[in-house]
Amino acid sequence: MRESVYDVFARKERGDPLQHIGYLDAVDDELARVYAWKTYDEQNWFEMCVVPRSAIVPVNRTDGPFQSGRARSERPAPDMSAPQPYGGDS
Amino acid sequence: MSGSNTPVASPDALDGAARGALRRHILTLADSKRILGIRYSDWALGGPSIESSVATSSMAQDEWGHARLLYAMLKAWGDDPKEVEHDREPDAYTSLPALDRPQEDWAELVAAMLVVDSALTVALEGFSGGLFEPARSRVPKMVAEEAFHLDLARAWYKRLARGTDEGRSRLESASRSILPGTLAWLAPADDAFRALVDAGLTHDGQTLVGEFWDRCGGSLELVGVEAISTEPDREGWDDVRGRGPGHPGEEAVERARGARNRALLVE
Repeated sequence: MRESVYDVFARKERGDPLQHIGYLDAVDDELARVYAWKTYDEQNWFEMCVVPRSAIVPVNRTDGPFQSGRARSERPAPDMSAPQPYGGDS
Repeated sequence: MSGSNTPVASPDALDGAARGALRRHILTLADSKRILGIRYSDWALGGPSIESSVATSSMAQDEWGHARLLYAMLKAWGDDPKEVEHDREPDAYTSLPALDRPQEDWAELVAAMLVVDSALTVALEGFSGGLFEPARSRVPKMVAEEAFHLDLARAWYKRLARGTDEGRSRLESASRSILPGTLAWLAPADDAFRALVDAGLTHDGQTLVGEFWDRCGGSLELVGVEAISTEPDREGWDDVRGRGPGHPGEEAVERARGARNRALLVE
C-alpha cells in the first residue's frame, strides 16, 4: 500500500476563490478527506476539497513548485509491521 | 418513546424517576466523552502517521468540548459542574467500560473509535431526538462534528481489516472484547433507562442498538463480527452509574480532573 500526496484547497465564503491551503499524505481518498478536515480546521471553511497531486496537470511550466513536488507525490505507506505494528509509542 | 410530546425545558418538569434517570444519562455521556478524549490524546503523537496523530488530537479536542457542554447541563440539577469535573474519585465515573484502560495498539484504538465513539453518537442522537430542550438545541452540533470521527474509524477499520493477518486479528479481538459492554451501556435493561424512554427523553433500546449496527455493522463484518451473534454483557450492572462493573484507572481520572497541576493554579 502506498501513500500519496494530496493537496488541500478551501474557500472561506461561497463566492471566494478556492485557495491552496496545504497538503497531506494519505493512502486513499477516504483518509485524505478526514485528515484534511481535521488538520486544516482552524478556520470555518465554507468548502474544502482534496486533490491527489498526481492528478494535477502542469499548464505553463514543468519545473514549478507543484511539479517539483510530484517527485515525492507517492511513497510507501509507513511500515506497520514489527516492532510497533500499529504505531504504538514509536 | 411514549407519553406527551411537550418539550421538557427543565428537569423540574419531570417526575422523580425520570429526573434521576436523565441526570445519570447526561453524566455517563459526559464522562464517556471526557475519558474518550483522553484515550484519543494518548495517540496525538503516536499514531502511524503525522496525519492520523493530528486527527486523533483534533478528535480529543472535540470530545472534551462535548463533555464540557454536557457537564454544564447538570447545573439544572443543582450540580456544580466544577465539582463534577474535578472532584470525583475514579469509582464515581460513569464512563463506558471499554474506556477504563488505555488502548495498547492502533488496532485497539481503531476498534474503540468505531465501536465506542459510534455508540456515544447514537446515544447522543437519541438524546437530541428526545424531549429535553437543552439536548435538542445543543447536541445536534456535537453529532455533526462526529461525522468525521466515523469516517476516520471506518477508513482505518477497513485498512486494518484488509491488511495483515495480525492486524485483522487484533482488530477482531479488540472489537469482540468491547462490544458486549458497550451494547449494555447503549441500551440498559434497567428501571432508570425505562423511565428515560417512557418520558420521551431518548429512543428505546431496540432503536438505539439498530442504529448502532446500521452505522458499524458493515465495518465489523469485515472481521467476521455480526450482530446476530453479539449479545450485551449485563453482568455486574451498576444501575446507579448506568454501566457495567469497574471504573477508569486512577491515571486517566487524574488527567480528566487536571488534579496533578491544579495546586499550581493561582486563583
